[in-house]
Amino acid sequence: MNEGCIPTKTLLRSAEVMHLVRDRSAEFGVRGIDPKSVSFDLAAAVARKDNIVAGIQAGIYKNLDRNKNITFMKGHAEFTSPVDIRIDGTLVTAENSVLAVGSQPAPYAIPGLKEAGFITNYEALKLEELPNSMIVIGGGYEGVEFAQMYARYGTAVTMLGRAPRVMPKEEPELSEKLGDILREEGVDLHTSTEVVRAGAENGARFVLVREAGSERRYEAEVLLLAVGRNARVENLGLSEAGVEMDGPYVGADRRLRTSASNIWSLGDANGGLMFTHRATYDGPIAALNIVKALGREVDYRVVPRAVFTEPTLASVGLTEAEARAQGHEVRVGTADFAGSGRAKAIGLPVGMVKLIADDGTGELLGGHILGPRADDLIHEVVTAMYKKGSAEAIAKSIHVHPTLSEVVKRAAKALR
Amino acid sequence: MSDAYDVAVIGAGQGGLPAAHMAANLGAKVLLVEDREVGGT
Ligand SMILES: Cc1cc2nc3c(=O)[nH]c(=O)nc-3n(C[C@H](O)[C@H](O)[C@H](O)COP(=O)(O)OP(=O)(O)OC[C@H]3O[C@@H](n4cnc5c(N)ncnc54)[C@H](O)[C@@H]3O)c2cc1C
Repeated sequence: MNEGCIPTKTLLRSAEVMHLVRDRSAEFGVRGIDPKSVSFDLAAAVARKDNIVAGIQAGIYKNLDRNKNITFMKGHAEFTSPVDIRIDGTLVTAENSVLAVGSQPAPYAIPGLKEAGFITNYEALKLEELPNSMIVIGGGYEGVEFAQMYARYGTAVTMLGRAPRVMPKEEPELSEKLGDILREEGVDLHTSTEVVRAGAENGARFVLVREAGSERRYEAEVLLLAVGRNARVENLGLSEAGVEMDGPYVGADRRLRTSASNIWSLGDANGGLMFTHRATYDGPIAALNIVKALGREVDYRVVPRAVFTEPTLASVGLTEAEARAQGHEVRVGTADFAGSGRAKAIGLPVGMVKLIADDGTGELLGGHILGPRADDLIHEVVTAMYKKGSAEAIAKSIHVHPTLSEVVKRAAKALR
Repeated sequence: MSDAYDVAVIGAGQGGLPAAHMAANLGAKVLLVEDREVGGT
């Protein structure tokens, strides 16, 4: 909420407005705008974001104040035993503890990077002066969101991904298409790259990259590192607490209990599905297991994912290849947004819906959407999958016309 | 003598806040600790 979801979505909206006004206003019949005279005031956009975040924070404090059973302390917590915690100078004891410590950018060992100087998501949401150029290292969701955001602001963005395409774990047709869209918007996207060295020279930063068998050099004012996140466990006293790690994440079982029987862990700290909606799902389960000893297990069978570029990429469940690899005979239904009157009306007739179902039972196994408002549209598929259902209800129920959801319905019909 | 709590929640982010509220609503005496800003990432 401070340097993730809401700030990025707020600033992506500024980028979207900038893009519409500068690049597309004439197409919609708006006159009097000279693209060359349109400029972007990043400080104003950041101030708008800060204002929104401050409002949400005030609400959080109000709710904490109201809850008489919660004592809030500002400070860094460090375990000195499984039940003893030091919070800066104050010592407390706790029968049970919950590690809700989240994640931080993973260290990235590129020679020269530290000396060259780089920023992460934290600073990228606070810059007040627009850089002329930026190299985004990392082709995951943070990378694509920041690349589109800054490119639309007006920064010359070079993007370096390690995998053969951006969002490599998503349905290939859709992530390939997202890469094409970023390129069309002017992002200089390079995939299958390996950054071998970074440095600074004559006021510009550079990276040396192994790419298609040769070594290339890219230069920019700013290097933005977006290459994944690890649990934030420095100076947390995990060994004193008896909590074991599982690689770069806290090791926890399906009841969210760690190797220390009175310490629990949730959200990003545990790795896997590093989303806010997973952390907010975990929270009450950990509390119920601690206070009521319910032994409840987390159920991550149906957890949707989204990347908030425009168009948005959202998905749930298995890709076609994953479903086949798991031994399913599959049926695939697709529909394009190019065939949607509403997508044309709003000027975004791009992308597609792809649904995957088991051929024998008809059960929906996965849904993948690249298109306008895919982040909202995916929930029709989520609901069907939660009920272990087929796509029948989506295909047969009456959908409002003209809406983007008609494209999801068309894909469901194509499954049969 | 240090203060004693039933449940200490480390981190007032997206997962810590609902964990703390739920534990408190179930009757536990909860301590919620945050070293940066409430709301988390
Ligand atoms: C750029 C970016 C964009 C994102 N966009 C989205 C999105 O659109 N949708 C989505 O679902 N997810 C998004 N995420 C991921 C999302 O932010 C995380 O999944 C979510 O915040 C995880 O919640 P959490 O409670 O596990 O951790 P956090 O929300 O990070 O909370 C952890 C808290 O613990 C505190 N803490 C850590 N250690 C200590 C300690 N020792 N003592 C005291 N306090 C401590 C931290 O300061 C922090 O406030 C994004 C992340 C990033 C970086």
